[in-house]
Amino acid sequence: MTFQERYLVGCAALAVAALVTVSPTRAQDAAALNAEAAQNDWPTYHGTYKSYHYSGLDQINAGNVKNLEIAWMHFPERATRGIQSTPLAIGGVLYYSGSYSRVWALDGATGKTIWSYAPELDEELVAKQTHSPYNRGIAIGHGNLYVGTVDGRLIALDVKTGKQQWDTKLLDSKKMTVGFTGAPLVVKDMVIIGAQGGEWPHRGPIFGVDGKTGQKKWEFFTVAGTEEAKATWGGDSWRTGGGGGWMPGTYDPETNSVWWGTGNPAPLYDWAGADWKKSGPRPGDNLYTTSVIALDPDTGKLKFYHQELPHDAWDFDSSVGEFVMIDRGGKKLVVHANKGGHIFVYDRSNAKIENVWPLVKNINFVKSIDPKTGELIGRRDLPEGKVEPPLCPAIMGGISWNSGAYNPKNGLFYRIGQEWCMELTVEKTTPILEPMAQLNIGATFKPVAPPDGPARGHLSARDPVTGAKKWEVQYKYPPLASVLATAGNLVFVPDSEGVVHAYNADTGEELWSRNNGMGHNAGIISYMAGGKQYIAVPAGWGSLVSDEFVALFGEPFKSMTKNTGALVVFTLRQ
Amino acid sequence: MRIPFVIVASLAIIWPWLSAASFAQQSTSAGAANPLPQAEASPNDIEGGQMFATTCGFCHQDGGRHAGKGPKLSKSERSDEYLIERIKKGKVGAMPAYGSVFTDGQIIAILAYIRGLDD
Repeated sequence: MTFQERYLVGCAALAVAALVTVSPTRAQDAAALNAEAAQNDWPTYHGTYKSYHYSGLDQINAGNVKNLEIAWMHFPERATRGIQSTPLAIGGVLYYSGSYSRVWALDGATGKTIWSYAPELDEELVAKQTHSPYNRGIAIGHGNLYVGTVDGRLIALDVKTGKQQWDTKLLDSKKMTVGFTGAPLVVKDMVIIGAQGGEWPHRGPIFGVDGKTGQKKWEFFTVAGTEEAKATWGGDSWRTGGGGGWMPGTYDPETNSVWWGTGNPAPLYDWAGADWKKSGPRPGDNLYTTSVIALDPDTGKLKFYHQELPHDAWDFDSSVGEFVMIDRGGKKLVVHANKGGHIFVYDRSNAKIENVWPLVKNINFVKSIDPKTGELIGRRDLPEGKVEPPLCPAIMGGISWNSGAYNPKNGLFYRIGQEWCMELTVEKTTPILEPMAQLNIGATFKPVAPPDGPARGHLSARDPVTGAKKWEVQYKYPPLASVLATAGNLVFVPDSEGVVHAYNADTGEELWSRNNGMGHNAGIISYMAGGKQYIAVPAGWGSLVSDEFVALFGEPFKSMTKNTGALVVFTLRQ
Repeated sequence: MRIPFVIVASLAIIWPWLSAASFAQQSTSAGAANPLPQAEASPNDIEGGQMFATTCGFCHQDGGRHAGKGPKLSKSERSDEYLIERIKKGKVGAMPAYGSVFTDGQIIAILAYIRGLDD
């Protein structure tokens, strides 16, 4: 038997074994998760593991989208800071979370409540938190629905009944102050969730938890998670380094790797200036902050990584940004957006750089990033005192935390970019750890318009690998919600004024719009229920980024209702 | 009633010595929980401007001189009592409660910083 024959026989045996040992439901789940397009369901935060935020449904399309109208709505209680989550849909049931980690299961066709869940939180702790009490999403798997809490827990609910299955305390939030706001990710038998971090002086862990039992299996510290990483933090600065993984990553089954983006180091702004390798509050590269990391889902061991911004001195996380997995020219690539406004393209077998391109115009924290090596060229390290000219982009980022979308039919990547800068005075600070950790900013600042015009946003349709632009839509106010692409040749953008737009995916021509009455700062999905396609989008305003809009733009944000929200679901008129 | 700035500033300066016992206790517990020397309490911890740049400036922008996520604080017409109460109790969905996080001395130091702000 030749090697090739042995290989084929081996593969066949493995396939048969898989069919015998894997239940039909689980095989179906895996197929849906690994597909390019979300079909009838939207089974995971980014649509599928490919992270396209793309629905393969085309019942609603460019020809009939003008007939889209509201099918039903749902109003969550205690929507403090609006709604920031991305719903999931499985088997005609829509699931979504709101502030205080409240969860609803709703009939996808009618909106009728199937069950609801409200965890008992440590309200005294919540009152002491800044990045709270919003929740950005859930995960479903193993017959459970998983949601994190701002007081440091991961909770499993029976997906059919909403009955609590387990409740695992993962973080000492009374000490660290922060907890979990990002969606978990189901990978095989595990559920994976990343802690908040960044300007919070801890070590920003990511956890692997057994989905069935709730038992913690592993914990990976994004700050000094290995000896190699610890050597990149001068003195004891690794103890208060920040980091975190506050948005969900994804999974590449071909390499058995969980890709996750990590948060910035603390303090945000570093007064060491050009001498950052040797002096300042956190001398060195500060691994693995502002990095993309690949973890073994079974052990939590680091497999490979790329630090997008070594010694990030500007608060430009890698936590933002989905991991768009595309194959091109025989290469297996992953495309990831960094908060600083650049798009990184990696070889997904090892995180080696394939390209880097800027999505936004107003960037001056570096002159450029080498598209072949990822090296920062002309980095602007900030000494203590007033920063002149203002730093671009502003702390809200050239790219915010909600996701773009990719259409595999036309090969276009749709991404929101933000144009704004920030006046900044860097100041020396001391981390406050007792009695509980506090933000460590290291500066005072004020967002301002960029040098080339007013503060603004844009959606552009581009080649995800080269960045070549096909079309662009400008917005007076940067949209802060995720984007949805569909096989109906449509791109949906929920904007900050409260309007949902549908564009022709090939041309950018606006085909439909509808005012939901308040700004959007959440995800948008499509799913099938009872033979009909639906588009579901939460509306609701009041996030930390959107709170900047009153000072920057005045109306309509000065008068916009906050701390409320609605899930609005559309379908075609009969 | 508004506390004169001079009195507030003086209180902020002498507070570490007035509260020496409680600070010593805090210092010990901080040292036990974390070996970082900068976590230990010292008179420098109570510099209101530094505390503002550490924590408060995330929302109150340009050092409190400009509205952003939080309101402008310089030349605030709110009374000292109001500002202290707001720092201690916070506002749900908008501002954390610092009453059990910062000492009274630290809160007075922050107030002194706010009252000393120009526009």
